[in-house]
Amino acid sequence: MYVQLVVTGLALGSMYGLVALGYHITWATSRTMNFSQGYAVMAGAVVAYAVFVALGWPFPLALAITLAALACYGALVERIAVRPFFLRASPAWLLATIAVGIIAENVAQLTFGKDARAFPSPLMQKPIIVGSAGFYPQELLVPVVGLTLMGLVQLFYHRTSYGKQLKAVAWNPEAAGLMGINIPRAVMTSYALSAILAGVAGVLLAPLLNVAPQMGTIIGLKAFAVAIIGGLTSAPGIVIAGLGYGLVEAFTAGYISTRAREIVGFALVILVLIVRPWGLLGEKPSRRV
Amino acid sequence: MIDKLGWTLLATGAAAMPLITSNTYYLYVAISVGLLTIVTAGLNVLVGFTGQTSLGHAGLYAFGAYTAALCVTRAGMGEWAAIAAAIAVTSVVGAAVAAAALRVSGPYLAMVTIAFGLIVEGVLIEWGSVTGGPGGIFNIPKPALRTHYWTVMLAVALALWLTANLRRSAWGRAFLAVKSSDVAAESLGLSSYYVRIAAFTVSAAFTGAAGALFTFLNGYISPDSFTLQTSILFLLALLFGGLGRVAGPVAGSLALTIMPELLTSLLDYRLILYGTLLLVSIYWLPEGVIGKVSKARRPGSRTPSPDPLPLPGRGSKTSSPRRAKGRGEGQPHGPLLTAEGVSLSFGGVLALADADVAVDGGSIHAVIGPNGAGKTTLVNVLSGYYAPDSGRLALRGRRIDGLPPYAIARLGVARTFQTAQVFGGLSAKENVAVGVAGPRLGSVLGALAGTPGARAREAAIRARAQALLEALGLGDAAEEPAESLAAGLRRKLEIARALATDPLLLMLDEPAAGLSPAEITALDEQLTALRDEGGPAVILVEHHMDLVMAVSDRITVLDYGRVIADGAPEAVRGDPAVIEAYLGSAS
Repeated sequence: MYVQLVVTGLALGSMYGLVALGYHITWATSRTMNFSQGYAVMAGAVVAYAVFVALGWPFPLALAITLAALACYGALVERIAVRPFFLRASPAWLLATIAVGIIAENVAQLTFGKDARAFPSPLMQKPIIVGSAGFYPQELLVPVVGLTLMGLVQLFYHRTSYGKQLKAVAWNPEAAGLMGINIPRAVMTSYALSAILAGVAGVLLAPLLNVAPQMGTIIGLKAFAVAIIGGLTSAPGIVIAGLGYGLVEAFTAGYISTRAREIVGFALVILVLIVRPWGLLGEKPSRRV
Repeated sequence: MIDKLGWTLLATGAAAMPLITSNTYYLYVAISVGLLTIVTAGLNVLVGFTGQTSLGHAGLYAFGAYTAALCVTRAGMGEWAAIAAAIAVTSVVGAAVAAAALRVSGPYLAMVTIAFGLIVEGVLIEWGSVTGGPGGIFNIPKPALRTHYWTVMLAVALALWLTANLRRSAWGRAFLAVKSSDVAAESLGLSSYYVRIAAFTVSAAFTGAAGALFTFLNGYISPDSFTLQTSILFLLALLFGGLGRVAGPVAGSLALTIMPELLTSLLDYRLILYGTLLLVSIYWLPEGVIGKVSKARRPGSRTPSPDPLPLPGRGSKTSSPRRAKGRGEGQPHGPLLTAEGVSLSFGGVLALADADVAVDGGSIHAVIGPNGAGKTTLVNVLSGYYAPDSGRLALRGRRIDGLPPYAIARLGVARTFQTAQVFGGLSAKENVAVGVAGPRLGSVLGALAGTPGARAREAAIRARAQALLEALGLGDAAEEPAESLAAGLRRKLEIARALATDPLLLMLDEPAAGLSPAEITALDEQLTALRDEGGPAVILVEHHMDLVMAVSDRITVLDYGRVIADGAPEAVRGDPAVIEAYLGSAS
């Protein structure tokens, strides 16, 4: 029971963390985010399903097409829902990204259908039995890929020149602009990258959760909760919060009830914010007078 | 005039409806419009007036609906008692959520409200013994549809009337002030946290009332009606109708309720429709349908109010901004404000280094120094916006370091900002009125109901605001929107607003920046007059040396955060350290 819950918790938690990192990436460059990040998870699963299962193309190709589509989706969200409001420092981007998300869900409903479909994976054929616990290899693959990707993103930001430029935009857009960094493109890149991470999460989760147009909402909200608990400005905080949230959720579901896990999870967010208003490792924004 | 006509038509239509048709479907739709109007009227107080977004109002709606249902089915209460109970419970819950949520802003605030809504939804499903679980509560005794129609329409009229009163009250101005600039609002003694909690609580009470009325519409409620989508729909109706406008909720609720009913064949495209509508509202209708209509009606007609009568006593002693008896009278001798050993660094940069300043009551004390010397930082420390790393601050012997800006403002320290921060969305007179009322906003209930007491206070506040504007030569601009004023007038408006708090100490951060030479001369006269009439002490941060030398009693010179000279203007002018700081070393 206990081993099984740990495995499930880490698998889901790493995915929440991965999606939440997407919120962090755009927040860091532009102080905006895609409130419909969950729909990008759904889009990843749906596109992968269409290409890999429906068309039957090989998986690597399907994955490449999915990620390219998600990059475009992210850029599109930035272009129509964020950029018009970014420079005006208006919170309208919050509602605009929600609007794009619900349109995306409706489009998926119309093209994919409303019913959930299974996503076959060789890693879901035979469970691994450890003592009395049983879990699928896919559940082990998910956190490994998730954590590796999170590490790569950190390397990109800290070790590459372009990553450093994106960080500079976050620190001081004005100065970064004067140094010749193309800010609109930097913001768009961060949205594309953020959508790709969500898309990867969608592909990884598809075999575990089945594919459905409404699958994105709750994952997006939980990932958002994770980003807020960890602190929007802190990538390490988000990774820790993601794994922690996944474990809390798995154990609540295991020992209390499936429904209670949402109540406990979201109550946790409110409690954390009462104690630490800017998240576990987040920085308090400095006050400008 | 046209506004009145619109309201009359709307009221007539609503009143005539049950007489014209007995079709229950139409009555049902009309009641749904009414319920959404009540919710959005309340939400308008929070989002439109105060500028805070909530994605959890469906949770409050649920609290109202379930409280009413339980009161009736379990406690055997009557309909009206149940509605009252629902409003009371929802207000308390709203205040509690607000107290937790409004400590944070932006996405963090959105998260807390979303989490609240989802928790409520989860508990409704889980706690079956009380809420009936996923099936909800049914067989709730309900009034006849026609009777309920009248109840709801009266409630709508009441809701709109209450919000209109609120907008015109000191509370309404405080909401808009906090929305426009919470930094400036705090400098007038308003705690933006409490003002926002009040707005959230008012919106919760409205939402709770609508929730209770919803229960008596169907006689049946279930968790399906209270999802995150419902919260988004509330916001959409408000945005589409017109944020911050009293009529906005009506237009938005009509559109958002009737449109889906007309387009039932497009049910599958419903989300696309909502999403597109939301984008359209944000892009092209920043003031909503109502804003669009009222603009089209009066093309570019912001005529300044005609003012043919010469204002009596402008510029004379009788219209002094200072009241005859202020807090400043009977001050003990000795310094009014002292700062001792104040240091503050940002990262590695030392903005203030062991600075000492003492300001005497009734004096004009200039703070000068080269750019980056720490002058504005000093003002920000003295007014509580920055907490010093070390050192002590005292106002009339009382320690004030560590107090928040609004608490220091309430003790009598007023200020202006380097970039004038007037409250957009308010007229010039209303800006000053925010300062006159300060933290003394009266009761929210009085403001909502527009009681005679509240109205009398309001008249007094407006009269004093007008007098202050005239004293500073802004009488003609009283009704102008503050954000449309020219830069020089904005600065004056900010000074009038700061004086309106009747301060002991007024801190002016570069008041002459951007003024014409004639305006600077006028400022010079006003400052001198203020002092000669027993006005507040003034800290003047300024670059215009002529002005500084002309009006100051004492000058403190800062350089790299250190006090390099302090004394009478003549002494400072000849100080070699000062000359070096300004001109560079002569050797």
